[in-house]
Amino acid sequence: MALARNIACLVILALTACSSDPAPGPTEQIIVREPGAAPVQPVAVIGDPASALVAEGKAVFANCSACHAVEQDAPNGAGPNLFGIFGKPAAEVSGFSYSDALQASGIIWTTAELDGYIANPTAKVPGTTMVSGAIEDAAKRAAVIAYLESSMAN
Amino acid sequence: MSETATASPAKKGKWTRRAFIGAGVVAGSALVVGVAVRPGNPIDRLNPLLASGENEQLLNAWVKVDADNIVTAVIPHVEMGQGVYTALAQMLADEMDADWNKVRILEAPADMQYVSDSIGRDFLFPNLDVPAIFEPTVAGGILELAQAMGLQFTGGSYSVRATGQRAMRTAGAAAREMLVAAAASEWQVPASEISTADSMIVHASSGRSEPFAKFALAAAEQRLPAKPTLKSPENYKIMGQPKARHDIPEKVDGSAVFGIDADVPGMKYAAVKAAPVVGAMVESIDASTAKTMPGVLQILNMGDFVAVVADGYWQAQQALNTIDTRYSKTDGDELDQDALFARYAAYLDEAGDEGGDMETESGDPAKSFAEAVTRVEAEYKVPFLAHATMEPMNCTAWVRDGKCDVWSSHQAPVNARQAAADAAGLAFEDVTYHNAYLGGGFGRRSESDNIIMATRIAKATGYPVKMIWSREEDTTQDHYRPSATSRFRGGLDQQGQAVSWSNIHTHLFDPKDAPTLPYYNIPNHRIRKVDVPTQLRFGPWRSVDHSQHGFFIESFVDEMAHAAGKDGYAFRRELLAGSPRHLKVLDTAAKISGWGTPLPEKHGRGIAFVPSFGSIVAQVAEVDMSGSRPKVKKVYVAADPGFVINPDGFIAQMESAIAYGLTAALYGEISIKDGRVQQSNFHDYPMLRINEMPEVEVALINGDHQRLGGGGEPGLPPIAPAVTNAIFAATGTRIRELPLSKHSFA
Repeated sequence: MALARNIACLVILALTACSSDPAPGPTEQIIVREPGAAPVQPVAVIGDPASALVAEGKAVFANCSACHAVEQDAPNGAGPNLFGIFGKPAAEVSGFSYSDALQASGIIWTTAELDGYIANPTAKVPGTTMVSGAIEDAAKRAAVIAYLESSMAN
Repeated sequence: MSETATASPAKKGKWTRRAFIGAGVVAGSALVVGVAVRPGNPIDRLNPLLASGENEQLLNAWVKVDADNIVTAVIPHVEMGQGVYTALAQMLADEMDADWNKVRILEAPADMQYVSDSIGRDFLFPNLDVPAIFEPTVAGGILELAQAMGLQFTGGSYSVRATGQRAMRTAGAAAREMLVAAAASEWQVPASEISTADSMIVHASSGRSEPFAKFALAAAEQRLPAKPTLKSPENYKIMGQPKARHDIPEKVDGSAVFGIDADVPGMKYAAVKAAPVVGAMVESIDASTAKTMPGVLQILNMGDFVAVVADGYWQAQQALNTIDTRYSKTDGDELDQDALFARYAAYLDEAGDEGGDMETESGDPAKSFAEAVTRVEAEYKVPFLAHATMEPMNCTAWVRDGKCDVWSSHQAPVNARQAAADAAGLAFEDVTYHNAYLGGGFGRRSESDNIIMATRIAKATGYPVKMIWSREEDTTQDHYRPSATSRFRGGLDQQGQAVSWSNIHTHLFDPKDAPTLPYYNIPNHRIRKVDVPTQLRFGPWRSVDHSQHGFFIESFVDEMAHAAGKDGYAFRRELLAGSPRHLKVLDTAAKISGWGTPLPEKHGRGIAFVPSFGSIVAQVAEVDMSGSRPKVKKVYVAADPGFVINPDGFIAQMESAIAYGLTAALYGEISIKDGRVQQSNFHDYPMLRINEMPEVEVALINGDHQRLGGGGEPGLPPIAPAVTNAIFAATGTRIRELPLSKHSFA
């Protein structure tokens, strides 16, 4: 079967109509890409660039979601719920047991402070219990922050 | 096409004694003995599969001896936790007088030459009594038939009692006699003066002693013994010993390779979802989200199932979960469990007193029932059960260039290979099947649905694909132990003796003797079945039909005992009066359990007795009913499998059968609603927890070393009735429907 490389979506409708074949092939075969080929970039993002950034942030946040919830009233995990975090002092989400270091940090969570913290939490606040989840890529941090902000707006 | 089809009938006449026990001259210095070599056997194909050294060529074989005095037992069965590699190797090594510490084990490749003629014989001619398996015409004919059935099969508790007893021991004894003959020739002494022990050949009077390896090559040129002499039990050195299982180290250190561990360069992963109603087809799929998801390579509508192929399994499963699928309508879309049991009842009602298919009849059950002093009637029900193997169903396949490789864990590797060939549209010879350890079989892995699905996916993609079923898929797409309803009528005479027994039940799958009770002396009996259509797929489930009928029969026997005003143990003793071997098993279970001695309040003992798969097993369960749920405290087991080859392994099988059977008795239920299986994972199809596992005490009885029974299944059938009979003893509540979780004991 000849396969075109890097074709985002190729639908082959099988011509066989014989359903009594003991081992029929696919009736529909959607080839997204071939093994080894680079992942296909989204062809277009519907809507404005800001929502694209939020969408990317949501994808990046999948990693953060192992510890943090972002939905209102969702329980704390290994890290606190981040709903409505912007503008609040550090270490004030109820029900979460913070490190002494973060409680003493005096940080008010602005986008800039959050950006600095998630770039390298233990460097910004030595003694924090957030020892994993640092995001080195500035673009990804911007996307996550945009996503967190959007979650407040919803 | 397969080799089965190409074997021409004309070859039948060419079977000879010589051919049936084959031996091979081996380049280098290895002796190989096989018991199923046929003329014109294309042995070259086997060499790459079995040869381990450059100077070694291997014939189709059961045992080989190589230059460093290692004896390798080639095992034509699969290891699924039951310890069969070790037990079969013990049988071969003992007859050969091999040094157990120098025995290696190799699973036979999926090839027709390794199909078990012994199993074929028992399946096809269970009553055939041929003293030696070398009788050429009979054995040859059976081998061909067994090949036709693709019986390189592990199940039916057959391995030790059939392959071990008939093939492994014979191969070991033949190899030993050939080695002795070679030494006798070399040393110029009578063979009768030569002895063997610990892989050494000894001529005591001249002080000569050499390892097997020294004579391996010469032995291969010896005439094959037509009927090697097998040891009698007093001479067993390895059989009967609790040898440590061969597979312990790799299963402890994690290096054991199971089917799901297959690792093929370049392989991708597939997650699958089949139509939830059996017989429904995929009408359309909406994969608009799935095709944008990370790692996704292909989305396949295969007609009967949907597959997503991705770089990783998690990616494939996540993408699959987003696909919106429409299925075709079927006649079974409305079916639910209550309606199914109502259907069973309607079919049983229609069969009435005379209808249905007769299974066995003796005397005049109707008249004896009518004239009985006491009459007992009862109806019992059991649900569908899933297998819930720890290793979910999976298969890795690669179809390319007119060839196909398949990796999985299967109870019948030859069947798996044929299934892959059919699915790929290739000849049997073009398929290589690689079997690995089974992470649980219980009968589920005798089906080839997973093999076919993976091969079809791999054929569509062209690259190697590992298909793994989610636990949800594994639970909802099983081949289930049938649900069933069984009705009984029993009659007792003035003395409270059972004189009449009538039973009619739904379904009969396998084995055919499961609903019968020839060991109980009830003069008038009639046992019938009715087949009721259900859309669910049935499959063998550990102990197969004995799992239902053990519960049915032993519950009703208990009800009859109660109606007769007799103790359950004493009542069964009367029924077994003419069968000393059976009686000994029952008596032993009663004795070790302290039957009849006082128990704490709200505790009860129940006894059950079920011979199955050639073994006789009685169990006494001790149950604590003081809480809201039954707590099984201890189970006493007496078992007579003829002769216990490996006591440690056999006891482990009794224990695991109790764990598996108690899981089913307490919780096991697959139910149908809107044509779909309602359960999906361990939260609603729970397993016995370790804190619920009763203490198990096993007494072993070697009742007849010439008639071995199985070990994998016979421990299961008695546990459910032993427990429910104990519940009756403790509470007066008779359980007639499983699982116990349906009942309230508050």
